[in-house]
Amino acid sequence: MNNIINDIRDKARQLLAEGKVDVVIGYEKGSLPLKATPFFAHSPAEVDSLIWDETCENNLATYVAKTPGKKAIVAKGCDSRALAVLLQENQLVRDDLYIIGVSCTGVIDQRKIVAEVGEILEAGINDGKISVKGMAGDKEYLFAELKDATCQTCRYPNPVLEDVHLGETIAVSQEAPAFADVIALEEQSAGERQDYFKEQMSKCIRCYACRNACPLCYCQECFVDCNSPRWLTGGVNRAENLFFQAGRVLHLAGRCVDCGACTRACPQGVDIRALNRKMTKDVYTMYNHEAGISEDGKPALNEYTTNDPEQFLVKE
Amino acid sequence: MKISKEKFGQAFDALVADYKVIAPVSDGSGIAFTEVKSFSDVKQDYLNSKLPPKAFFFPQHEKLMSYKKEGKDVTVKSELKVENTILFGIRPCDAKGMLLLDKVFKNDQYTDPYYYERREKAVIIGLGCTKIAPTCFCSSFEISPAGSEGSDLFLIDLGDSYEVEVVTEKGKALADRLALAELTADEQALVDKIKSAETPSKIDVSNTTSKLDKMFNSPYWDTLQEKCLGCNVCSFSCPTCHCFDISEEVRKNEGTRVRTWDACMAPLFTLHGSGHNPRDNKKTRWRQRLMHKFNYFVHNNGSMSCVGCGRCIKSCPVNMDIRQVVDGANKAELVVE
Amino acid sequence: MGEIQVEAENKKYEPKIAAFLCNWCSYAGADLAGVGRVQYPATIRTIRVPCSGRINPLYVLKAMANGADGVLVSGCHPGDCHYISGNYVARRKFALIKSLLNHVGLEEDRISFSWVSAAEGIRFAEVVKGVTERVSALGPNNGIFKVVDDGGAAADE
Repeated sequence: MNNIINDIRDKARQLLAEGKVDVVIGYEKGSLPLKATPFFAHSPAEVDSLIWDETCENNLATYVAKTPGKKAIVAKGCDSRALAVLLQENQLVRDDLYIIGVSCTGVIDQRKIVAEVGEILEAGINDGKISVKGMAGDKEYLFAELKDATCQTCRYPNPVLEDVHLGETIAVSQEAPAFADVIALEEQSAGERQDYFKEQMSKCIRCYACRNACPLCYCQECFVDCNSPRWLTGGVNRAENLFFQAGRVLHLAGRCVDCGACTRACPQGVDIRALNRKMTKDVYTMYNHEAGISEDGKPALNEYTTNDPEQFLVKE
Repeated sequence: MKISKEKFGQAFDALVADYKVIAPVSDGSGIAFTEVKSFSDVKQDYLNSKLPPKAFFFPQHEKLMSYKKEGKDVTVKSELKVENTILFGIRPCDAKGMLLLDKVFKNDQYTDPYYYERREKAVIIGLGCTKIAPTCFCSSFEISPAGSEGSDLFLIDLGDSYEVEVVTEKGKALADRLALAELTADEQALVDKIKSAETPSKIDVSNTTSKLDKMFNSPYWDTLQEKCLGCNVCSFSCPTCHCFDISEEVRKNEGTRVRTWDACMAPLFTLHGSGHNPRDNKKTRWRQRLMHKFNYFVHNNGSMSCVGCGRCIKSCPVNMDIRQVVDGANKAELVVE
Repeated sequence: MGEIQVEAENKKYEPKIAAFLCNWCSYAGADLAGVGRVQYPATIRTIRVPCSGRINPLYVLKAMANGADGVLVSGCHPGDCHYISGNYVARRKFALIKSLLNHVGLEEDRISFSWVSAAEGIRFAEVVKGVTERVSALGPNNGIFKVVDDGGAAADE
């Protein structure tokens, strides 16, 4: 890991010093244990703050279009997929973008730790082991135990799009995705699923952290903010929360790169990903499409074939 | 004075008959303040709730009134419903937060009946902190983790019993229903120890307000906003944020006027009908957030509107830490205009 | 919002169905049913759209939120789109809308999709009959999207 950090800093220093980019978007150590925070290095003097480890959980692609000038971005697999979709949709200028690719073994799900040992006082990462001093006790974890749910099913840990790759690449299974999490929900009865999503939606406070953390939610005016027509009343209740989440997920269908940023951003622990994953599975099984796996191509819903499945039609 | 937890639990269960009792409950992903019917449902050992208890006086979404037009007749109905309420287990930071909200919703110019009727009919039973989270920094604002300011009745957990402090008349009325006993010398020593604790994390706000007076055009704000996502987590999870929006929900001949939490981090917050937006970027929005809490509120109400509960730090998806932001403002170089 | 009053109890329950019909085929099909005096239940509220490709998923959600008991979306048969590919693109969208809404627990038959051409007046009537029967069997929309008719301020339980 340390070598990668040095490589990232060297690369960032070089890009800034040579004037190839105005800013390098990466991560620095955050103010809390096991927390990294997005960092914008504007000068070579700042690059020594850059880090790279299992705490770098934000999807930095979110910032690219909003950051003026030429920029370099430290991109893991999911970040690069989001960049690919943004490029497909003409939201980014490729020439203004320098992608520093790093392979990612996954990020840590802090909630698992907090649930067991309480608020984290101190923590260290060493050789794939995470030792945590919590308010309710100490514990040492293997990284595999703490891997975020998204990362456990990740098929693209290596960037799909990059100008330079730093560090080693990760061997990836070539098997088709299993979607065990989605199938588990599908196998429940409609009533059980309804209960599950009702419970989830009753937790939502409509802070829009999910939307804002999402690299692909870039609408100039989100439908929830739209006054004419007025889709939502502003009421914060289960029905309207589901309207918001379902509307958002349908906007992301065939575009979502399954980075999990929305779920990690949620302060209330809403299982937003359960909705996105269902769409990802449907798009994969019906249209054999995975979002953002190359710069070319189009999002699944911008394309069609004449023999797309039609099971959804009425029987008449 | 003290009361055993067993006796307190019995008294608590009896109070449920006369009051709507709100208390901290574990909801699977954290602690939430919810209505409870029995003391056994209450989570007593907790750091703080995910969301502040302000929503019981200032709900995220509330009907102010409804109206209906039939022919030429218009009926208008107030939607204010108030119950006698007890809020149990309120931490000192949140209790102080309510005192700050009081300054907004009841002052010499205006009293908000919706907020104030509820506030008047509520009794706050505070619960001192014996454990302090790494994100807590209330001591920066002269709030003690075991301070009774803002509570009507204040408890400190002594293991098998609570130390009970009667703070206000409202609290006294409740205390009369409790069988209180004297503290032993050992217990008194423990109480003193808990009361003298401070949060390890503190920020220096001694000169922040006067510094901010001179910082409206500082380049500091440019550096601050880059990583902010512009979501509303910090505002919604803040015990003192109180901005709201009022809208009309109309259908045919009837409608309601509703009040909803709003947040200065949202672009829509300041968007004019003309399309002009005086705060159309994150830089100006962040300046507003910090200025409001550490400058404007001080000038208007004589106190900072941050209580150091640490929720915004904990909940921020990109780890923006208000402690660092204030610290950065303290250290920022002033630009000569 | 064009709602009809709740019928007196002794009357048979009639669902309210929002029908989004494409201008070139299904709307014309409905018209043909009318001209041909083909009987079908008066349960649909027709909203004419230029093409089934114009259907925004939010239309379906909003109809459910506003209390429609069912939604019917109908366009030209694939291959017959007035705009060449509108309904092909829509087809993918429809499949996903249906799938997601079922996934969150909305009853399967609340949302219906069909292709009806301008010549299929009789079939249009059949579709409406079928949809009406199935929605009637489900009863009124007390669904997960329905916002209480008070501006959403009431608790949703």
